[in-house]
Amino acid sequence: MARALWSGSLSFGLVNVPVQLVSAARDLDYHFNELHEKDGARIEQHRFCSEEDEEVLWEEVARSFDLDGKQVIVSDDELGSVQPRKTRTIDIEAFVDLADVDPVYFDHPYFLVPAGDSEGTFRAYRLLVEVMSRTDRAALGRLVMRTKEYLAAVRVRDGALTLTTMRFHDEVRPTKPVPTGGKKPAKKALDNAIAVIEELSSDWEPDSYTDCYRERLRRVIDDKRKRRKIEVPEPEKQPSPAPDLMAALERTLANAKAGRDIRTEPEGDGDLGELSKDELDEKAKQAGIKGRTKMSKKELVKALSP
Amino acid sequence: MAPRSIWNGTVTFGLVNVPIKLYSATESKTVRFNEVHAKDGARVEHRRICSKEGKEVDYDDVVKGYEVEPDKYVVLEKDEVKAAAGDRGKVVHLAEFVDAGDVDPVFFEKTYYVGSRDDADPYRLLHEALKKTGKAGIGRFTFHDREYLVALRALDDVLALHTLRFHDEVVGADDLEIDSGSKKPSKQEVQMANKLVDTLHKDFAPADYEDSYREAVLDLLKRKAKGEEIDLAEQEEPEQGDDLLAALKASV
Repeated sequence: MARALWSGSLSFGLVNVPVQLVSAARDLDYHFNELHEKDGARIEQHRFCSEEDEEVLWEEVARSFDLDGKQVIVSDDELGSVQPRKTRTIDIEAFVDLADVDPVYFDHPYFLVPAGDSEGTFRAYRLLVEVMSRTDRAALGRLVMRTKEYLAAVRVRDGALTLTTMRFHDEVRPTKPVPTGGKKPAKKALDNAIAVIEELSSDWEPDSYTDCYRERLRRVIDDKRKRRKIEVPEPEKQPSPAPDLMAALERTLANAKAGRDIRTEPEGDGDLGELSKDELDEKAKQAGIKGRTKMSKKELVKALSP
Repeated sequence: MAPRSIWNGTVTFGLVNVPIKLYSATESKTVRFNEVHAKDGARVEHRRICSKEGKEVDYDDVVKGYEVEPDKYVVLEKDEVKAAAGDRGKVVHLAEFVDAGDVDPVFFEKTYYVGSRDDADPYRLLHEALKKTGKAGIGRFTFHDREYLVALRALDDVLALHTLRFHDEVVGADDLEIDSGSKKPSKQEVQMANKLVDTLHKDFAPADYEDSYREAVLDLLKRKAKGEEIDLAEQEEPEQGDDLLAALKASV
């Protein structure tokens, strides 16, 4: 099982459940070491005193804070003295509706697993899982880990208690200064945009997305190992806004309905093969072609061709 | 004061191109300390030293090494690492939409606010359409030469961009082997616990929760600056009660 990052107890009223905290996110990134180009040797980070220009050992390092220009040095013991009293307990303070907690507040996800092997602990843990999976609520509490206090949301995921550390309200910036300029959309444009979204909607299936960056980086490492040339791709050019928003929306919707790449540009009337049956019907209707309702897609293209 | 944007680019939605700017949505307020030399209070600097020569190395002479087997590295120039960034550059294509509420919070990583660039009209159109439908557009976003999976959704009056974890980066409960014990909680215990959940239910009001530890640290620093003696108090652990039902009863 994953390594416990913290152990303590989850306190719910007067019920204490001994728990351990394990990460619910894996680090699958490729990590690099810094090397000296000349000799391929590893680079080490050493601490130096900026005044004496001499190396400083870890034992000789103190923590300092700049308080309005005045340097204040504190020891670990002094910092420890201000940690909240019940530092090993997550006290559930309230239950809130999960939907009310905007994702912007979420930081890192963890699981809480029962600690030890007492029957009482397992039962209390199961009780919390059972009660909390009945509602879409999250329990809010505080957790002190290493030298920081976190606000945390506890809820059920996959039949286990999950804890997500949260940002404090003053760590979330106000949205007000963000520019949201431009005109209010016309009703027709909005309807079209909504129709496009509905057309392209599907269920959230996380398994269908792979980390292409990770794969490409693996390929780069592999190519380099086999002494192949590394090509740095040209970044795609930034498109400028379409001159006619409404036309762009309509074409997008037609693309979505026809199951084409939604960025397919219209290629003039000559390229009828690109259009869907519905679009061809519509064109045939406008052109007043007789017998169009009985025509196949191919026949429509032929009838419409100049 | 207008916030400083950290990226600008274009979100596309079919043939509709939305020029945007990106802003940080969050900032850490954790009290951060500088390392100083205890003896003289001078700042401690971190310097790069070659492990073979024992001499300082300039950043320009540093390359990235990926360890393929112990002590054997594949060396990449900084430019070569950029080859993995892909070709998206400054464009986020939205071609799929999902119910924003269906994305489990475990997937959310970092949030940015998306602002309109050049006051272009399509920004409000996309915002309004996402707000009305409650959907999030899924796309890929390249930032500092790294590609991320992102969800774009309406948050109040702005658009928010969330970087998402990939499915294989998320741990499932199956990976944990949680022992569920032999006895189920009794009906009475479940009822009591439900009651307790209801009693403690309230609306989420983020401002009710202050970072009291941050405040305590800042207060400690102020006292220390005045030359006060700091009392190093002991912590205490809570007792684990054995009688679950009695504890629940006493809590309600």
